[in-house]
Amino acid sequence: MFQNLIDKSMKKSPWLFHINAGSCNGCDIELVSVLTPRYDAERFGFHLTGTPRQADIVVVSGPITMQSRDRLIRTLAQVPEPKCVVSLGSCPRSGNVFKGSFAIDGPLEKYTHVDVSIGGCTPKPEAIVAGLAKAASILEEKRKAMRKGGIEAVRKMEAEAEKPDAETSGSTADAPAGEKAVKEAK
Amino acid sequence: MILPYLGRAFTNLFRKPATEKFPLEDAPKAQPNYRGRIAYDPNLCINCGLCSRVCAPQAITRTIKPLPNGDSEITLTFDMTSCTFCGTCADFCVKHAIKMTDDYMIVGTKPEDFLVSGTFIKKKPAPPKFTPEQIAAMKAAAEKKRQAAQNAAAGAQPAGDAAKAAPASSEATKPAAPADKPAEAAAKKPESAPADKKE
Repeated sequence: MFQNLIDKSMKKSPWLFHINAGSCNGCDIELVSVLTPRYDAERFGFHLTGTPRQADIVVVSGPITMQSRDRLIRTLAQVPEPKCVVSLGSCPRSGNVFKGSFAIDGPLEKYTHVDVSIGGCTPKPEAIVAGLAKAASILEEKRKAMRKGGIEAVRKMEAEAEKPDAETSGSTADAPAGEKAVKEAK
Repeated sequence: MILPYLGRAFTNLFRKPATEKFPLEDAPKAQPNYRGRIAYDPNLCINCGLCSRVCAPQAITRTIKPLPNGDSEITLTFDMTSCTFCGTCADFCVKHAIKMTDDYMIVGTKPEDFLVSGTFIKKKPAPPKFTPEQIAAMKAAAEKKRQAAQNAAAGAQPAGDAAKAAPASSEATKPAAPADKPAEAAAKKPESAPADKKE
């Protein structure tokens, strides 16, 4: 009976939980600035919560350091489904300048499905707002899917999102075909 | 006493909000010299590889794919999720093929959304103008000529004619030395072959 009301309310208040996985603090400062009066993400209901158990969107910043890895996994496991993971900045996706370091165990994709990535080092607050808005729309879709088909439907959605596009799959298929190609990975 | 505060309160009542209207409106333009998404022009690139050499986070991947006709297809891919936006690649690019744009809206759901790449064809290098056999023959001819000149000089020296032999030998090498295209000159004049020998 109240389901529609709950859905509407949930749509208007996606709560954020921020995990700093060894970030340099640049992205963290920019994320906090998103909540200041100038960018004011709270008008869309984004609210920084203190516990992962109340969160809908998890924002991860920083390359995943060895020290923070276990905490990250544990925190992500505490977030109730359906959740949306946003990687903030270059670090979680690639390691950025820390790539190849002994203290890094990234990228974030190894541990969870990343729904939205915000590039930049650090991203501008406008880009973060755009990314969060995208994450909120994905979260809404996930919630709908979960209502219909349970958690399997959400997992299916995530797997479909990870598939490369039809047009770009051509270029990715080229890479294994050109095995003779001299690849300089530097 | 409270009057100035009242004045501020009154003006604030009628002021525009300080909040940016961004998601409802267009995103504001970045500051001048902002370093955002990389723009790469493959037509200017000369495949020197400096950009990938100076890139600290190793965000630049160069793929060289040989084509059947001897050309090679060179693809440079810039990974925006790996980039630090330091601008060093753009600074080092001698041909200005890499530029930092002010596009900061780097938001996406797939890895492909973050790749900037360009492809160009590098032509096969021109074949050498002479085969190794031809060069060896020219060298042998030059050596023979030098020997002959030496013998002539040795024979003429007792007669006190060494001064004549010296300009003769310098005359042989002279046309080849300043020539910009010694190979072509060598092809026409076999006597200027010593230039090839020097190379």
